[in-house]
Amino acid sequence: MANDNTKTRKAILVTPEACIGCRACQVACKSWNQLPAVKTKNNGTYQNPPDLASSAFNIIRYSEIPSKADPVRWLFVSRRCMHCEDAGCMQICPSGALYRTAEGAVAYDRDKCIGCKLCVTACPFDVPRYDADGKITKCHLCFDRIGAAMQPSCVKTCPTGALKFGDRTELIDGAKKDGFKTIYGEKDLSGLGSIYAFKEEPKLYGMKENPTIPSSVVFWHNYLKPLSWIGLGGVVAAAALHYLAIGPHKEKEEEV
Amino acid sequence: MAEMIRKSHVDEILNHWILAGSCILLSITGFAFLFHLDPVASVFGGYNTMKDVHNWLGLAFGLSLLYTMRHYLMDAFEYDADDLLWFKVAGGYLSHKVTVPPMGKYNPGQKLYYLGILGAGIAISASGLAMWLMKDNTTVMLISHLVHNLAFVFFCIAGPVHIYLSTLANPGTVQLMLSGTLPLDDAKKRYPKWIKAVGKM
Repeated sequence: MANDNTKTRKAILVTPEACIGCRACQVACKSWNQLPAVKTKNNGTYQNPPDLASSAFNIIRYSEIPSKADPVRWLFVSRRCMHCEDAGCMQICPSGALYRTAEGAVAYDRDKCIGCKLCVTACPFDVPRYDADGKITKCHLCFDRIGAAMQPSCVKTCPTGALKFGDRTELIDGAKKDGFKTIYGEKDLSGLGSIYAFKEEPKLYGMKENPTIPSSVVFWHNYLKPLSWIGLGGVVAAAALHYLAIGPHKEKEEEV
Repeated sequence: MAEMIRKSHVDEILNHWILAGSCILLSITGFAFLFHLDPVASVFGGYNTMKDVHNWLGLAFGLSLLYTMRHYLMDAFEYDADDLLWFKVAGGYLSHKVTVPPMGKYNPGQKLYYLGILGAGIAISASGLAMWLMKDNTTVMLISHLVHNLAFVFFCIAGPVHIYLSTLANPGTVQLMLSGTLPLDDAKKRYPKWIKAVGKM
């Protein structure tokens, strides 16, 4: 289910270079979505909580990359659902709980979720988490806010402009004009809804190279799914044809 | 009243209907999951309940399938020269002019069909059970999801063939899964080698 009108597609542009790691985005997300804190321990890193969780839709990923020229180098990347155009989670979800909003976000209907966790297996970015009730949770691009012409809460609170929200094409054009050579997610999975502006290699910041949906899921979606009803219809039609053209078994011809 | 002979026993008939009923309901709910058929889900009161129905029916299907081995597995592994000839005339299904060789209790098409259903049935049950109980193992989930759907395609194709051949295509066959008996004279024509083996011909 592709978002037909790419002109209206919204996106979050992350500029890690501008991120100071204040984690106000994490707090704002919790505030808007009424999420509790995650109890964690100090494990010697600035990153906290250590990973996305059912009550942490976004986190600042922290990595320390010291070099001779730059002995103290801390890299911060804001991480959340990528809102892929080719969304593996949406493809595999058996209940239609995951869906695309008019703005291009991948949102979810909690009541429809059956807790099968197939979306976890199909996500190239390890994003979906399950809450204590066994229901999916993840970033939904604040679809309730952006539908009312507001910014996502994380973007609204970001003090440095490391997070920007707007029309996807405008954000990409703007970042390129500002001298960012690499826009991570511009083309991946037919274009991500969370895009990243880098001057260096995205790999340095821990970004996944060539993200893809698992090939078995792609094969299933493209071939097995249609084959199930084509196969069923085909044999029913063949049976009807056989009945009309050749006809049922006649007892007398098989006497011994 | 013509003399009757029993081909299927009560437990076999009962088990077959559990298998058939669960298979059809599992297919309907399976299609509803595949293509997000909201009206079908509504019949079950939503996707959550439909998932529970699908899972537990799957368990009934799997157990019922294992029980069929008692009835068909031995026969399904025995083939003779007539069975080979049966394939050469395609069981007489493509033309009424050919002579179909004498058959035993089951023809080789039925025997191979059974082995196919048994294999695909075990695959779809085991993979379903894995997706039900091992949700947190990504590798198991991905493999199970693929196996489950491959087996489903097999059932979508094999199921209607079986229903057609056992009803419309062979008049009088369906009663074998209702009363379990058929007139001895008919049995002599359809399963001569079986009737000889039980000493009634």
